Amino acid sequence: MATTRRGKEGTRDGRVTRRQLIRMAAAGGAAAAGARLAGAFPVPAVLGAAPVKIGLLVSYSKVYGQLGEDITNGMTLYFDSVKWQAGGRRLTWIREDEEIDPQVGVRKARKLIEADRVDLLTGIVSTATAYAIRDMVHNSRTILIVSNAGGDQLTRARKSPFIFRVSFSSWQVSYPFGKWFYENVARAAVLTAANYAFGTESIGDFKQSFVPAGGKVLGEVYPPLNNTDYAPYIAQVEKLKPEGTYNFYSGSDAVRFIQQAAQYGLTKKTQITGAGFMVEQDVLPAEGPSALGIYSPLHWALTLQTPENLAFTRAYRERFKRDASVFAMQGFDAARVIVEALTRTNGDTSNKDRLIEAIAGVKFQSPRGPFEFDPATHNVIQTIYVRQVRQVGKTIANVVFENLGRVRDPG
Amino acid sequence: MSYYLLQALNGCAYGMLLFLLAAGLSLIFGLMDVVNLAHGGFYMLGAYLALSLVRWTGSFWIALAVVPLLTAAGGFLLEWELLRPLYRRTHLDQILLTFGVAFVLMDLARWLWGADVQSLPAPPGLDRSVLLFGTLFPVYRLFVIALGAALGLALWIVLGRTRLGATVRAGVANKEMTQALGIDIGMVFTCVFAFGTGLAGLAGVVAAPVQGVFPGVDFETLIVTLIVVVVGGLGTLKGSFWGSLLIGEADTFGKILLPQLALVIIYLVMATVLLLRPGGLFGGKTR
Amino acid sequence: MRPALRIAASAVPRGAGLGTRSRGVLGWMALAAILGGLPLVLSRYVTVTLTEILIFALFAMSLDLLVGYAGLVSLGHAASFGVAAYVVGLLSTRGVTALAVTLPAGLLSGAAAALVIGVFALRATGVYFLMLTLAFAQMAYAVAHQWSAVTGGTNGLSGIPRPAVPGVDLGSTLPFYYLVLVLCAGAALLLWRIVRSPFGAALVGVRENEARMRALGFDTFRLKVVAFVIAGAAAALSGTLYAYYNGFVSPDVLYWTTSGQVLIMVLLGGAGTLVGPAAGASAVLLLQNLVSSYTERWTLILGVAFILVVLAAPRGLVGLVARRWTPSS
Repeated sequence: MATTRRGKEGTRDGRVTRRQLIRMAAAGGAAAAGARLAGAFPVPAVLGAAPVKIGLLVSYSKVYGQLGEDITNGMTLYFDSVKWQAGGRRLTWIREDEEIDPQVGVRKARKLIEADRVDLLTGIVSTATAYAIRDMVHNSRTILIVSNAGGDQLTRARKSPFIFRVSFSSWQVSYPFGKWFYENVARAAVLTAANYAFGTESIGDFKQSFVPAGGKVLGEVYPPLNNTDYAPYIAQVEKLKPEGTYNFYSGSDAVRFIQQAAQYGLTKKTQITGAGFMVEQDVLPAEGPSALGIYSPLHWALTLQTPENLAFTRAYRERFKRDASVFAMQGFDAARVIVEALTRTNGDTSNKDRLIEAIAGVKFQSPRGPFEFDPATHNVIQTIYVRQVRQVGKTIANVVFENLGRVRDPG
Repeated sequence: MSYYLLQALNGCAYGMLLFLLAAGLSLIFGLMDVVNLAHGGFYMLGAYLALSLVRWTGSFWIALAVVPLLTAAGGFLLEWELLRPLYRRTHLDQILLTFGVAFVLMDLARWLWGADVQSLPAPPGLDRSVLLFGTLFPVYRLFVIALGAALGLALWIVLGRTRLGATVRAGVANKEMTQALGIDIGMVFTCVFAFGTGLAGLAGVVAAPVQGVFPGVDFETLIVTLIVVVVGGLGTLKGSFWGSLLIGEADTFGKILLPQLALVIIYLVMATVLLLRPGGLFGGKTR
Repeated sequence: MRPALRIAASAVPRGAGLGTRSRGVLGWMALAAILGGLPLVLSRYVTVTLTEILIFALFAMSLDLLVGYAGLVSLGHAASFGVAAYVVGLLSTRGVTALAVTLPAGLLSGAAAALVIGVFALRATGVYFLMLTLAFAQMAYAVAHQWSAVTGGTNGLSGIPRPAVPGVDLGSTLPFYYLVLVLCAGAALLLWRIVRSPFGAALVGVRENEARMRALGFDTFRLKVVAFVIAGAAAALSGTLYAYYNGFVSPDVLYWTTSGQVLIMVLLGGAGTLVGPAAGASAVLLLQNLVSSYTERWTLILGVAFILVVLAAPRGLVGLVARRWTPSS
């Protein structure tokens, strides 16, 4: 092993001397401290009352970085439309990166709640992070409006009056599809999913309605999360010769699985179906023609023909120069929930019980259809659609062709 | 039977992909005794650069030819400017520095190309599938196998039969002696390093149609590459080649025969190999 | 006891004579006093943040024993940390909350993990050793990731209650902070004494020239394993406290990025000084939190910071501040 260095350092390369480094660091630290202190004394709003502080905690880095950006964009779009005001107060937010690491998520949530003293917290992409901060949120009586994390238990065993979810629960997406699959795709299926909580939970939810309807599970295959090569698994699935498959993948796993399934001819041999996230807007462009024909259940689609959705998708495209995704829509709705609730309480965020009541009572026509909260669980009640990936003009999109009705998580 | 043959072919394709990555890192490690944690970053950069070049020129082959040159240039710069002063220092400093470079590369990629998961389509001609062992097999994977084998052969010839190769091998065996013979070992180092990062870039382009292009692909790949390099033995081409194949096949068969162990198959293989042969399969020195 | 101190003297850390030893202890005590008094004047949030810094400072110091003194660069230190965190989490969520039970359980499990890993990995050296430690930590990660019935899988174990100590409510910030302070300071002091003992000197000797130490009659393998287990126990302590701190454990605590992060803390702060890694831990945590509040490009800034430190501060942050600070060599 080489020896440690001794003697004069910092002068060797002449690039950055030690003194310069100390000065830079000191200046940086002073600036940061100054800014932080300044932030501790918010400038009073023109409207008289202090602005409402919203903490937005989503992932901006690593594989799910796009989801965080989409949610943020969706919220921005809605807040812009109401000029960042609600209930007579200005709206401001503080954004933090949860990095898809629950340990980091807890740390950032704590900062938002205790140091920044936000009036409400929203976001949360990862279910693990949601479970991690659940107790902190509940004990500090902070209202949390979840705009993604879909773990079933968050609004069941681990629910809290302070936690509202505007996105979905895994059950809502996969359960209704089981019976539909039996009736419209095949009586027997092979089930595959990335081997992590979201994946296994979704498969379990699918089986809950598929099996009692008479469906037979031919086999279950669980590749590890972040798996590169699906070839061995695809070969396994083919060996079972299923007429249809139900799958769960998201992010880069979804792209790889779909592409490799097409390359190995699986898409032609069997009807591939999967939870909507497998072919959502964040991954569909990368999957391209390989995804054609895939059925998926989800609570929204880019092509959904409701007037609200047409307006939303058009405005989103104009503003951000890219297509909206279900995550953007969830952010959009979360922002609307906040604004409508604040309007009802006339901007009062100090009376938590009153604010909770106001949020629980919010009902509106969302781009996804009618939106309301379940008073028992604070989870959203929404319509689930069945979509198919089709060629629409020059692009490939999820086209809605069936409606599975209003779905309410049992809690 | 054909099912297992199919899986073996899958394992071979995956192994060759790993070989492209490992060859460069093994040389750098073996020759220069430098820990380059930014290797994954060059791989990722190669994939992203290929994305842009293909969009710009419409040709995968141009990207395949140009990207390795770009990443080699990047490696040249990195070695010259940042790593050179560190040769007298410990591995720890190199770890910290190259980690820093890796972070910078990762964030730069996210900044310049966005956080989306993107994909690079296989070039027309290679994006078909053929009937093999009773099922459809993508031609692109066959291309990867062929490329890996060709590269292996080319490297073997250069390292074994040319003067340049002899110089490099001498350097791996004994730096000081080689220098004493009047060879500018510094320049050899820089060139080998640049070659290594060039290979990483090439691997990035070739793997992109299979693996996808997204932020985070660099660190995922780095770990697997390190495992292959260590299993094969530092600094030996034979080691990288056979190590890659071993890991590729073990991973593939492990996934179907021992699915519960899918996450750790390659670690188990590495641990077993190292416990039986502490220097890796073909590594002489137990450094 | 080992052969004559006389021989070991040549490997004794510079500046580790009697005078500096008592100076060192005084220094630690002063720091402990400051840390003890701070929370009384600062806000709750700062106290909570300080608690986390203390936990990671200990984690980094435990790794320094291996990296800075024994010369064993491990990329699997998260194994002891994470195993202890899970054991404590599992016990606590199943009703066993007495600190008197969970603390030893955590320490023992982490130390046991270190023992098992050490016995296998220490047969190799250099990069091979590094990769073996990585491999074993990843295996632990895989178990946590997949054995969802027990570990909660990727959702992790949540709702971990604070430990039960008769007469004290560790659920509130200050008492928990003092518990962490006392335990971490105590462990740090122990580590300090260890590196200044003949054992510590022998470790340095092994790092400098293992063959020579063996020729002198030392059982270097045993020395290294013992060091590994001690470091593992200290890491296990920080892991135990971390599980209580967050009230939550997920497989990420065992992932190689955790091992990488603590290694960075050691390198950034200055390996081989014990104090350096503690400072490095504080710096990394503060940097990550502060910078990410202001810009999305915090990864870039962090990377640049690492590069700058390597180029301009070769002995880490500690080397920047204390001109005459000599690491153990």
